[in-house]
Amino acid sequence: MPLIEVNNLVKDYKLNVRKKGLLGSIQGLIVPEYKMKRAVDNISFSIEKGEMVGFIGPNGAGKSTTVKMLTGILVPTSGSISIGGLSPSRDRKRNAMRLGVVFGQRSQLWWDLPVVDTFELLRYVYKIPEKTFKSNMALFNELLEINAFMSQPVRQLSLGQRMRADIAAALLHDPEIIFFDEPTIGLDVIAKEKVREFIRFINKEKGTTMLFTTHDMQDIEKTCQRMIIIDQGTTIYDGTVQHIKDSFGTTRTLVVDFSENVGKIEIPGVEVVEEKDRKKWLRFQKEQVPVSGLIYELTQKYGIVDLTVQEPEIEGIIREIYQGGIKFDESVCRVC
Amino acid sequence: MRAYVEFAKKAFQNNITYRADYVAGVINAIVMIFVNICIWKAIYEDEQSVDGVQFKILITYVVLSFLMQCIYGMDEYHIEYKVRSGSIGLDLLKPINFSAYVFSYNLGILVFRIVMQLIPALIVSIVLFKMYPPFSLSMAACFVLSTILGYLVLYNLNFIVWISSFWFYWTFSLVTIKDAAVMILSGALLPLWFMPQFLVDFINLTPFASIYYVPITIYLGQVPMEEIAMVMVKQLIWALGLFLAGKVLWRIALKKLVVQGG
Repeated sequence: MPLIEVNNLVKDYKLNVRKKGLLGSIQGLIVPEYKMKRAVDNISFSIEKGEMVGFIGPNGAGKSTTVKMLTGILVPTSGSISIGGLSPSRDRKRNAMRLGVVFGQRSQLWWDLPVVDTFELLRYVYKIPEKTFKSNMALFNELLEINAFMSQPVRQLSLGQRMRADIAAALLHDPEIIFFDEPTIGLDVIAKEKVREFIRFINKEKGTTMLFTTHDMQDIEKTCQRMIIIDQGTTIYDGTVQHIKDSFGTTRTLVVDFSENVGKIEIPGVEVVEEKDRKKWLRFQKEQVPVSGLIYELTQKYGIVDLTVQEPEIEGIIREIYQGGIKFDESVCRVC
Repeated sequence: MRAYVEFAKKAFQNNITYRADYVAGVINAIVMIFVNICIWKAIYEDEQSVDGVQFKILITYVVLSFLMQCIYGMDEYHIEYKVRSGSIGLDLLKPINFSAYVFSYNLGILVFRIVMQLIPALIVSIVLFKMYPPFSLSMAACFVLSTILGYLVLYNLNFIVWISSFWFYWTFSLVTIKDAAVMILSGALLPLWFMPQFLVDFINLTPFASIYYVPITIYLGQVPMEEIAMVMVKQLIWALGLFLAGKVLWRIALKKLVVQGG
């Protein structure tokens, strides 16, 4: 049985409609007008124990709303959620024992107190046995190097330090499921990599089920096998990251640095998309033009200094999906 | 249970981090007592009593009222901040009872205020303002008990105001109105003796007198021994009634909760 099961989940919000101008705001004060907005529209999926799943989608797609319902702090309008047999909103406190949540933009640490104080507090909140607490603290220190700033008040920490402390805090009680809401937002490249590495390690070692919402495609590529794309409240893709790349990443770009100015190049199926000095960017479909043949042809005709083949990045594919450039058909989409 | 003790401890620590604020709080309490005594002195103008109330008794009343205000102070915007910033979501993700958490948080503040503010202010008051000691030892015990009940009445009243931030998001005006009502109607600023009868009759129908007036008059020995049990039961009923109302309101608030932002 899957650990997380979501069936036909719907969430409607009541929005207060404000009119423009001073008169409008006075009118809104006296006779408020409401409008219903469907943030999540009939989403279903299931997640097995130990899976790492990325939720992506443009701003306002309904990701956060879905995650909030999974954690039990929002009640669904209709549909059902079961996490290990419990309903998150009805058994909020029992469910909370098994959850860990990391918000990149929010901190659960006590602002004015040293980091270690929040950890001590969480130990009692989650009733963590002394032994588990100690071994986890040692592990987190080894991987995240948190001891260096354990006795500093949280308000004095850098963002990277705070984030590491927040992640450790969320994992202290060995939760079965962890939600990451933009865990690497605002971090520098090295710090991001460190966080991802840590996440992968925990998943492997402890078999923790993990859900991400993020806008950073690198987060997804480097941690998740599976990806759920949500747009306008519905699931538009649910499958592996690799599958999306295979299906849409069929174009290749060959960057060629010629030894001399070669003028116009005309090869069927190949398009020159960019030129700079003696460098040219050639785009082609990998099924139509075999890359080995193309390189052979070029080396026969011209002198070549350097060659690179570029695969389209997942980011570019996702951008096209958001903009409606790519439509999913039956073969790609498991759910729609 | 242990978690809530820890919450109170952390609230205590949290308060202690701002040393300047603490010193200012103590000075403020003493200055406020001093100013009020001066005002009453001007009203009395060397008279021994006004409306049959002795000056020294009045001074004791005023000092007591301010000492109680000192410890009755709570974090009025704790919940509002959590609602507005959305960090209430993080609290609800914890396997804890939110109302109990808020209460223990405020208990931490209470302990902080008793130890760090009440005690210095009390010493200054006894030495400088020469307040009367309690009417008798048993009255002193009743006073402490009644003050605890008064705290619970005020706390539960406050809790209702705080929870309203789920609907209003900004509660500054509401808190200000509530504070004004408490200060005037509970006899914190002006003893109820000086108020017109119709107002006193009205106040007796509200929980306000339970907060300041009842404990202070017990201290002064103005409540006959046989009536003490009854006024305290009344305090208890108000505390319970407001507690239940707060609980119902919290249930409704939780249902309508929309986490801001994110």
